[in-house]
Amino acid sequence: MSNILLDMITTSAILFLTSAGLLVVFGVMKIINFAHAAFITVGGYATFVAHQLGLPPILGPVFAFAVGALLGALAEFVIVRRLYARPLDAILATWGLGLILGQLVVLAFGRGVQFVPPPVQGTVAVIGTEYSLYRMLLILLAIAVAVGFTALLNGTRLGLSTRAVIMNEELAQGLGINSTRVRLITFAIGCGLAALAGSLLTPLTSVDPLMGLPYLIGAFMLVMVSSGSLPALAVACVVLGGLQAIISTYFGSVLGGLTIAVFAAIALRLRPEGFARA
Amino acid sequence: MTRRFPTTLLAACATFLAGAAQADDPIKIGVPVGLSGANSIVAPSVVQSSELAVAQINEAGGLLGRPVELVVADDGSGAAGAQRAFDSLIFSDQVDALISMETSAARNAGLPILSRANVPYIYTAFYEGGSCHPNMFVNGWVPDQQVPPVVDHFQAEYGAETFFLIGSDYSFGRGMLEFTREYIEARGGEVVGEEYLPMDGTNWAPIISNLRSSEADAVITSTAGGAPNVTLTRQLRDSGVDIPYANLAVDEGTAGDMGDVATGIYISASYITGIESDANADFLAAMEAHFGDDLSTPNELSVPQYEGILAYAAAVEATGSTETADIIEALGEVSVDGPRGTIKMDHQRHAPLTMYLGRVAEGGGVELVAKFDAVSPGEQCPNL
Repeated sequence: MSNILLDMITTSAILFLTSAGLLVVFGVMKIINFAHAAFITVGGYATFVAHQLGLPPILGPVFAFAVGALLGALAEFVIVRRLYARPLDAILATWGLGLILGQLVVLAFGRGVQFVPPPVQGTVAVIGTEYSLYRMLLILLAIAVAVGFTALLNGTRLGLSTRAVIMNEELAQGLGINSTRVRLITFAIGCGLAALAGSLLTPLTSVDPLMGLPYLIGAFMLVMVSSGSLPALAVACVVLGGLQAIISTYFGSVLGGLTIAVFAAIALRLRPEGFARA
Repeated sequence: MTRRFPTTLLAACATFLAGAAQADDPIKIGVPVGLSGANSIVAPSVVQSSELAVAQINEAGGLLGRPVELVVADDGSGAAGAQRAFDSLIFSDQVDALISMETSAARNAGLPILSRANVPYIYTAFYEGGSCHPNMFVNGWVPDQQVPPVVDHFQAEYGAETFFLIGSDYSFGRGMLEFTREYIEARGGEVVGEEYLPMDGTNWAPIISNLRSSEADAVITSTAGGAPNVTLTRQLRDSGVDIPYANLAVDEGTAGDMGDVATGIYISASYITGIESDANADFLAAMEAHFGDDLSTPNELSVPQYEGILAYAAAVEATGSTETADIIEALGEVSVDGPRGTIKMDHQRHAPLTMYLGRVAEGGGVELVAKFDAVSPGEQCPNL
């Protein structure tokens, strides 16, 4: 019983980590960044490179975030900036960007699987059972990301500008807020978060050119059901992630893989704002 | 008459030249293999052993006086990619034969194209058995050869009575575990759980939780090669699972690369680099000489590829032709002396093989636990 509960919580944490970046971009720019999966992959490889360079394991995620953010800023400046008025074209463009990034990774590292040793190994005794220590750590990290981002949004000048842009971009521009700069930084942070998620996942999965892809659809559905609100995303992850864990445990993981897509669709049908406050 | 003479002369010359060109036309062997996707880790080794086989054949004068040429195509380790690869190799590159290892999904997608094109196909991967096609021969093992050594050993050595089975959700994963279940139950054991994850899935946590709550004595897994092996093993070890663990689908190389988490895993294979025979020693030396530092360690998936090409060469030399009908007849009769011993695909298109039960040792490498000679593939294609 405790195993299932822990599976539910850790699955929710992983889902939150892998979709936070997508939500950030969608919430501010109303664009779905389909290169999200590629940035997760970039984060995984950045951790691999950090490991090769001999950096201490704790710098892996930091390095990954930095790489993701820089690449994201570059992508925004060169590609995405021109497509703000055309969100559907932006989807296509970011999907193309994702394909290009994937191929660049293959050119640089080859198609094989790379191994990054996990920073912590083994189990820890928690609520009456032995559970993977690293998965427990992911719960803390997901909370840290949520708290950190909320603090950024509510406690900094940039956050204030961002909230203004979210509320009404034209009015914000009229007040002298540089919305272009806000968008650049937002996209960079969104991609950085994706890369961070990729980095945090490497102990659980393998680092290969397609590692981010399985998370894209789930992240997309979770973002759709959250309507751009981070607290709503957290709720969605807890509910849908928990459901996925339960269904996987009792009905097999093949059905479990369908859970998020199916229940997100049902949720949107019943309540178009999804989990967000009306 | 005078004006038409040069044209007819030209036509005659062209036909003569074309006819002459036929004699030196290379014999093309097509290799559709997973350069990307789940098989991308082992694909380099498969391509290398193919290149060595072709190089050795050409050094010896080619086949029927013609050079042999290798054409490699990426099948993406899956059905869609296999269709593209088969199409391009057969219809665009006009290969004379296909010889390769592929995932079962890819193989099943390619077989209908074989029918349309009537080209012989030597399948060189281990697989779940039961795949039959008039143009196909198999020199890799089937469950009847790979599973019994593992189950017998777990029962004898660890007294295991309850087993948990984990696999990837496709024909290989399901086929292997279906046979494993039948064999375990026939030997008086009990299967207390059988779970599958989609091929690109990475979250094994619910399955591992079920494994732990079942309190099985041993776990046997059959996942897609490459990434799923790594993710499952990592997550298993990360959850503190330390019951006897046999992986039906990991090769020596990947197990070695996985590091500490792979220690203690049982593998059952028809090839390990430690086979002590002249043929294996010569083969390894030739690979070393040919590829030097770039060598990808020969393994269970690349050595049958080498032997498959040699089998095709033997069939061509034996019949003196590359016509599919002749080749199909000859492949069931020629035998090849390769690193795995003497291989003849004469048991309903499959081959009896010597099987080795090994265990991954600390620091990588596989130590031999037991050896089984001439294990029969059973009845795979009774209608061929």
